[in-house]
Amino acid sequence: MLKDRDLKELLSFRKNFVLILIGLLCLVLIGNLYILQIKHVQKYRLMSDKNRIRVLPMTPKRGRIVSSDGKVLAFCDYKHRIVMDRCSKKVFEENIDILDKYLNFTKEEKENLFNLRKRRLPSIIVKDELSRDEFAKVSMNLFRLKGVHILNTFSRHYSMPLEFSHLIGYTAKNTNEFQVLTGKTGLEFFFDKKLRGNIGNIQKEVNAAGCNIRIIDQENPVNGEDIKLTIDSVIQKFVYDLLSNYKVGACCVLDMKGNIVALVSFPGYDINSMSLGISHTQWNELNINEYKPMLNRFSSSVYPPGSVFKIVTAYAALSEGIVSPKDRISCLGGVKLDGHTFHCWHRGGHGKLNIYEALIYSCDCYFFQVAKKLGIQKLDKYARELGFGQKTGIELPNEKSGLIPNKEWKLIRRKSYWKPYETMIAGIGQGYVLTNLIQIASMMGKIYSNDLNYFPSLLPKDRAESPIPLKKEACDVIKTALHMVCEIGTARKSCRTVYGIAGKTGSSQVRSIKANEVGVNQQLIEWKSRDHALFAGVAPAASPKYIVAVIIEHGGGGGSVAAPIARKIFDKLLEKNAK
Amino acid sequence: MQNRIVLKEIKIFLLLLVTIILTSILGQIIAFGGFEIQVKKHIIKMIFGLTILFVISRVNIRFWKSFAFLIYVLNLFCLLLVCFLGATKLGAQRWIDFYFFSFQPSEFMKLSLIFAIASYYSDLSEYEFKELKSHLLPFVLTIVPAIIILKQPDLGTAMLLSGVGIGMIFLAGFPTKAFIWSTIGFLGVCPIGWHFLRDYQKNRILNFIDPDRDPLGTGYHILQSRIAIGSGHIFGKGLFQGTQSSLNFLPEKHTDFIFTTISEELGFVGSVFIIFLFAGLIYFFFYIGNGTKSRFSRYLCFGLGLMLFLHVFINIGMVLGILPVVGVPLPFLSYGGSSLITFMISCGLMMSMLLKVKE
Repeated sequence: MLKDRDLKELLSFRKNFVLILIGLLCLVLIGNLYILQIKHVQKYRLMSDKNRIRVLPMTPKRGRIVSSDGKVLAFCDYKHRIVMDRCSKKVFEENIDILDKYLNFTKEEKENLFNLRKRRLPSIIVKDELSRDEFAKVSMNLFRLKGVHILNTFSRHYSMPLEFSHLIGYTAKNTNEFQVLTGKTGLEFFFDKKLRGNIGNIQKEVNAAGCNIRIIDQENPVNGEDIKLTIDSVIQKFVYDLLSNYKVGACCVLDMKGNIVALVSFPGYDINSMSLGISHTQWNELNINEYKPMLNRFSSSVYPPGSVFKIVTAYAALSEGIVSPKDRISCLGGVKLDGHTFHCWHRGGHGKLNIYEALIYSCDCYFFQVAKKLGIQKLDKYARELGFGQKTGIELPNEKSGLIPNKEWKLIRRKSYWKPYETMIAGIGQGYVLTNLIQIASMMGKIYSNDLNYFPSLLPKDRAESPIPLKKEACDVIKTALHMVCEIGTARKSCRTVYGIAGKTGSSQVRSIKANEVGVNQQLIEWKSRDHALFAGVAPAASPKYIVAVIIEHGGGGGSVAAPIARKIFDKLLEKNAK
Repeated sequence: MQNRIVLKEIKIFLLLLVTIILTSILGQIIAFGGFEIQVKKHIIKMIFGLTILFVISRVNIRFWKSFAFLIYVLNLFCLLLVCFLGATKLGAQRWIDFYFFSFQPSEFMKLSLIFAIASYYSDLSEYEFKELKSHLLPFVLTIVPAIIILKQPDLGTAMLLSGVGIGMIFLAGFPTKAFIWSTIGFLGVCPIGWHFLRDYQKNRILNFIDPDRDPLGTGYHILQSRIAIGSGHIFGKGLFQGTQSSLNFLPEKHTDFIFTTISEELGFVGSVFIIFLFAGLIYFFFYIGNGTKSRFSRYLCFGLGLMLFLHVFINIGMVLGILPVVGVPLPFLSYGGSSLITFMISCGLMMSMLLKVKE
């Protein structure tokens, strides 16, 4: 043993020092355990659950869209899809090898999959649509695959893709939210929430390799609701076929309760291919097409209403007592104002006219003078009362409200004072006035149902609001005049019928025409410069049942082009009604 | 009188040993999720280890003192041999395959080193203890095998070996001033040493500093281990309820990460129990070493205690994420032959010392 005291003390000190150090280090371990297991237990519990629990979405079935005559317009097809969780390259290759036996990937598909893997998504879609045979084979061998799941999905199909393209719109796969179908335009967009339903999920326990161990919890999806429209698919198709004789056009058919019977914009586009995904070139083709097939002409584009707007001017003037039905105003083929002549469409002039004749022959001069007396503020008030310059509230996205000008608007938006001649041209639905087709149809509805609360709708509705009547005398005058329009007036050639149509033609200028061009045959000038042909009417005239509003873009004259279409539609509607 | 005290110590020692062995078997049952064939194998290895313990305990401690240097030299020779001939397992050359078992020289180098240093200091005169140059040989004895093992490459064992050697030199009274200076010097040399490390070793150290650096790569082990331990809470998830281990999120759950496996299912209480168990055993080694009259026995005990402590600290520190992942098993608890035999031999030596005092 040691005898040296110093050394003995030193060695004893060293031994104790080491022991204390060991003790302290053991405390460090315990301290760390405390931090991990007690202080941060929630965090690590969560991470541990995240490790083992995989949440898989269960897609709900998107609701159908059905027409009033029971035709299913939009529906979902059931299909299976293979999804693989993110995993190591080795596992991935093994999985692909096994799947290859049953699915027979092409080289391109395989390459695609390997590229997808590199994007580090939480899961990738290996194959989107499985055939029955493939589904059976893969599901039998699912236990051999790691982190591979079969999910149910749906694809969207449309039974009448062209006729309903603008109305129904199309869906696309949502890239963020488990690739659920999401409405992009039209009714699919407007009623997306209702149609979509709620996503369900399965919570699966998986091991480190991603193999399924068991199902922990399951929440079933809630399928989307069906939507029943007021549209009659037979009429819709009939209207579409009629319009297909022209280049670009739209039509709106309403009944007296405000139900929309048909709503067509031509040309249509194939919403089936849109929903299933179209190629870049196809998309570009649609967009550069001269006739813009993607544009919805009944609510998302606005036009100067032209002579159809004379109904509004007449109603305003009669209601305000500016003119009485007996008053006659002379038309000399033009009205001079501030040294500028505003011509009537009939160069020779109509002579002396009362308000009936002015509407029947669609005299511009008469309405120039009435509008001037009326003033823009009054005209604006009545136009708004009849639903112009505001959205009709139809169940579609991107509705344009159009424009009814007034003095304030001019001052604020155009930074200049209102000029008297502008009132005149507004009185015949030109100049700043812009409306969409549904507004025109809705205006007719308001007049003929004698209710300012009349609104068009795509869904069957209960009329809860009490009707607000219009000025009866003014309406009676207009109704008589419009009936005469079709008997002896501008629409007499096509609209003289047994049951009787009442309506108004319109040919709205798309550019300011020069004096020498007045009355030139529309067929002889360039398509883009031709007038828009409009017609809005009701039938039967005695007890109206349907309202039709038609526009043919650059069609030429309202009486020669738009009115015959309306006539055919009325024939079809009443024939169908009689059955 | 003395006999009764020693008898009491033997009782304590046996109690500690039995508890550890039972814990070890329980740990393996947890790791394999039941009384599986591997658990039976583990028990057979335990029995084999206990036989060695018994044999060693019958060998007089003086035998080891006289053959200490011979054992050291033979072992060093084997170590060099492994570098050239050794079977490559797990990317590292550590084994020599005999017909019936594979021999891992680096594992037994720890014991040989302890023997050699203890033997060296037991022959030193009191005067020589205070001399700086007399501490030079133990340092060389430590550093030579450590470098060879580092080259194998086995960072864990190299660290352990240097730890044990330097610890023993420190306990033998290496001059304080020189110790402080050499520590400072060593820290200065560290950046140079960085260049000698293999890429995967550098990665381990980098991942240890920031486990989120590469969550699915090497840092994955630490992260999963921390998640497993952290989700254990006070009493753990319950026997066989551990999701991290049973769903294979833990790597090497029955060997290096056995502590994690147990900790997940038995929680803070179980983990602290294991730490206390080892702390008790380590203290016991130091306590006996301090009380023995033979200088060789004293340093032998200190060396074995240090080795035990370093194993426990590095292993648990590693699974907790406070130390880099180096392949150091947890004494007795980890599944595996070589390290179990080393610790059984250590316990056999302890037993031999206790029995000798009794005589």
